Amino acid sequence: MVKGGFKLTRRRFLQGAAAGGLMAGTGIFYRGKQGTAWSQEELRPKEVKFVRSVCSPNCTSACGIKAMVVDGQIKTLTPTNDYPEPEYGPRGCLRGLSFLNLMYGPDRLEKPMIRVGERGKGEFREVTWEEALDYTAEKLKEVAAKYGPDSIGFSFQVGGTGHVQKGAWIALSTMAGWTLLHPYDLNGDLPMFFPQTFGVQTEELEPIEWLNSRYTAVFGSNVMVTRLIDADLLNQSRVKGAKLVVFDPVYSATAAKADEWIRLKPSGDAALALCMARVIIEEELYDRDFIITYTDLPLLIRLDNGKRLKAEDVTGLSKPDIPDYREAYVAYNGEFLTVHPEQLDLPLNVKLFGQWEAPLKDGTTVPVKTAFQLLQEQLKEITPDYVEEETGVSWDTAVRLAREMAAAKPLHVIYGASNYQWYHGDLKGRALSLLPVLTGNIGKPGAGISTYAGQYRVRMDVKDWWFPATPKWTPWLYFLHGPTKEMVAPYPKNGLKGFVFGWHNPFDQHNMANRLREMAGNGELEFIVAMDFQRTTSCDWADVVFPAAGWYEKTELVTTPLHPYMQLQQPAVAPLGERKSELWMAREIAKRLDPGFEAHFFPGNDEQTAAEKAVDLILRTGGPPTAGITLERLKKGPVRMWSEGPNNRQVPFYEQFAHKKPFPPLSRPAALPATAQFVKSGRIEFYKDEDPFLRLGEELPVHKPPFAESEYRLLPEAKGKYTFAYITRNSLYRVHSTHSNNIWMNELEDGKAKVFLNPDDAAAKGIKEGDLVEVYNARGLVKGYAVLDPGMSRQMIVFEQGWWARYLKDTSYNSLTYPFIKPTHEVYFVPGMWAPNTAWNECLVDVRKAGEAV
Amino acid sequence: MRLGMVIDLYKCIGCRTCAVVCKQVNSQPPGTWWNRVFTPGSQHHQVAPRQTGRLKMSFLPVSCQMCDNPACERVCPVGATYTDEQGVVLVDLERCIGCRYCMSACPYGVRQFNWEDPKQAKEKAGYAKGYTYGYPFPQRDKKGRLVYTPNRPKGITEKCTFCVQYTSKGELPMCVQACPAGARHFGDLDDPNSTVGRLIRERETIRLLEELGTSPKVYYLSPNKPE
Repeated sequence: MVKGGFKLTRRRFLQGAAAGGLMAGTGIFYRGKQGTAWSQEELRPKEVKFVRSVCSPNCTSACGIKAMVVDGQIKTLTPTNDYPEPEYGPRGCLRGLSFLNLMYGPDRLEKPMIRVGERGKGEFREVTWEEALDYTAEKLKEVAAKYGPDSIGFSFQVGGTGHVQKGAWIALSTMAGWTLLHPYDLNGDLPMFFPQTFGVQTEELEPIEWLNSRYTAVFGSNVMVTRLIDADLLNQSRVKGAKLVVFDPVYSATAAKADEWIRLKPSGDAALALCMARVIIEEELYDRDFIITYTDLPLLIRLDNGKRLKAEDVTGLSKPDIPDYREAYVAYNGEFLTVHPEQLDLPLNVKLFGQWEAPLKDGTTVPVKTAFQLLQEQLKEITPDYVEEETGVSWDTAVRLAREMAAAKPLHVIYGASNYQWYHGDLKGRALSLLPVLTGNIGKPGAGISTYAGQYRVRMDVKDWWFPATPKWTPWLYFLHGPTKEMVAPYPKNGLKGFVFGWHNPFDQHNMANRLREMAGNGELEFIVAMDFQRTTSCDWADVVFPAAGWYEKTELVTTPLHPYMQLQQPAVAPLGERKSELWMAREIAKRLDPGFEAHFFPGNDEQTAAEKAVDLILRTGGPPTAGITLERLKKGPVRMWSEGPNNRQVPFYEQFAHKKPFPPLSRPAALPATAQFVKSGRIEFYKDEDPFLRLGEELPVHKPPFAESEYRLLPEAKGKYTFAYITRNSLYRVHSTHSNNIWMNELEDGKAKVFLNPDDAAAKGIKEGDLVEVYNARGLVKGYAVLDPGMSRQMIVFEQGWWARYLKDTSYNSLTYPFIKPTHEVYFVPGMWAPNTAWNECLVDVRKAGEAV
Repeated sequence: MRLGMVIDLYKCIGCRTCAVVCKQVNSQPPGTWWNRVFTPGSQHHQVAPRQTGRLKMSFLPVSCQMCDNPACERVCPVGATYTDEQGVVLVDLERCIGCRYCMSACPYGVRQFNWEDPKQAKEKAGYAKGYTYGYPFPQRDKKGRLVYTPNRPKGITEKCTFCVQYTSKGELPMCVQACPAGARHFGDLDDPNSTVGRLIRERETIRLLEELGTSPKVYYLSPNKPE
């Protein structure tokens, strides 16, 4: 076939492609039959390369993605399937595979900008890097001189998504003496029951272990949407004979895939879990030896003051030589025994139930009971009527499910973030933990309790890169709420006056976004710096904006708590235009603040080389988790990090169970004493005797109805006025707010933010399908389009989080929330591990058709 | 050889990754979707249909059904739509005159018309100047017919090709490669040893609108848990 002197070389193309493997079709010449303009492209030779990188938006999946680069542009992003376990492939979802829309989309930042208009108006002038950096450094110095360096807050997103670039700014913050705001509690993802019960930040069973479970009980987690990459393993586990039961107020995609869906009232989980615990205890379905060996339930509690009985106070007993962060308590087996907190070796004839008089060294005696006895007594209050009233689940169903769970081993409980981001989220988690613990389902393959929220975990030692000086931290909620009387966390003397942020959208997407806007608007925040690869809605509130390199434009080291693979983000293309990596920005600011700081950031190296050197530093100094891992290995693909479980699987508390090591295992980057103080007994603790727990009647897991201690206390007239629970769940189409502006994601949901509500509630409010509605309370308002969803429970609204304000007619869904601080979250302070946690869903609202009078 | 697809609706979680990766690698402009995933009976995806009795919800991906008796091919006045020797229904993009008879004839609504120049459409959507996404090389069949190219021109009809640009090089269609749930299988329906051949033989399958006599080569397995 000849036309215009060119021979059609299809065969040559095919041969070339075959020889080059895959699609490496270089030197292709084509000619369209019709010679149309659009087929002329075929004539141009094209250079092709493939780069393996990692998608890392804090969805926790950490998927390897293959970028096809042609003539300096990424043309396709396709999934990888190169994990040693084929079950983990393919990786890459609708969001990650459409990242090109963000990378090459209209919201990319191109040049540094300095604000010229009012804050929030988005009026900037483009400036050179030199000007932006000099200006920023000067202003930061000014704020530090005026109020102290700790008055500058640095807010970022979870470290697992990127250790190198975020680490650079963390390092700069420590050297400059700024205050760090930890993202895990900022996000509300810290499940406080974990430190309270197990003494850890959080632990998770890796998804491939779901195949070993015989029973998976999901409480308010939408795995099929939020963990969609690994969700097939739950489907497969059912084919292998496991049962999947979903407890949720909403009939979700996950409920649709379950053997059974239990419609549970919002925040009714603790009541249901305690009911099941009652059945397990009364019917003696519990694992007695496990409880004696690994939990605090055999320990004796003083009835005079509610505290645990200490060995040092008891006649004839003494405190063994133990570290300060431990305490030796007492158990009883006919005589009083010292319980050594570092040895899980109590004799199995220890009494689980009973009351005795303990002789004290001061010559008096005190009545004591085992914690288990107290728990059993307390559970008697969980009556059939109470359960049905608080949970909406019938007693018979609850009893049946309790028996099923006790009989099925391994049992795995998944407790979702949307469910613990409540004021009493910690109580619910403590109650739910009873199910796997009482039945001995901890530390074993396919067993346990997992939360799966956030890429928070620091899996290796990062001190050398992150913390060249001692970091100062304060929790985000104090920033919004102001300090409390009981806070133990440090707070800057003059509050926060400077605010530097990156990797997130705090003026739109965080708890009480309007409070932050207010602080920007009224000048309380004197200087605000934003860095991002896109012009997010928060950039408009900044005084200076740094345009960052995006994924596929820089080097970054990625891990996730979900699975133990360490992976490398590798630049597929050079940063376009004037965009720079965050490490480069940190280095430039560092040298302007103090010439001595620059040395930390590999001066003299271009930004990619410097990033690789940082990776290398982390690997060399990362401790046992990074042993044997090199940059060269990571460049080739995912590398499995060491895990404690059998077959190198990530099975939480395996070492505690199998080798009787005391609780807790290490939670990096904290030192062991910092977290071991949470569980001084060295055991799984259900009885908490620190004063705030006793004062609130929460020494044991209890059910407390939502809103009573939060909304109604804050605003008594809210009761009866705002009667809808307002739940913000994750959307299929976004990862938090990332992809809010993704054109394809918006096409898939008609570009409309939706307000989901029960059809009967809608009818009562005169709302029809598709109506524009307003969800509001005394604090704020958000707009969206009504979806009448029969799977919704009554008196609740679901709004899918992550929409930028510009898609909500300039309203913000976070204007309705409030930074409630629960006193039990203030007992200790270890950043991101024991800290006041955002309770997004502890929020009451009402709903009306848009435009209706208040 | 008859290439076909089996989609396991028990495994399908309705995540729409297949639809998005299809759009991306096939360079579909804003508004165009060759592959869609629905929640049957419901106006909104992943919202249960309103019906009496127990709530139920499943998900249904729909792209070209690759009919053995394709209505689109029969009505094409210029022979642009044809079935290749492997049973794949394709459009000769240089022959299509954009009459859209095929779109009326197709009972599955999967054919898409380019109302505007896709490059202009992308520019309007705000992509960086000069940027277009998608598999960048054209693909011609053995007779030289152009069956894939990025940025098909205004005024022609297009649809799923079983990713001819990938399958012609021995790769699987991208929706099959990318399905995180492992719900999609692709291969030779005539080969009893192929996965698709085995699944059709061993499992109960349905085909969409079978009563119309289109005889699709896309088969669906039941959303119920396999026994």
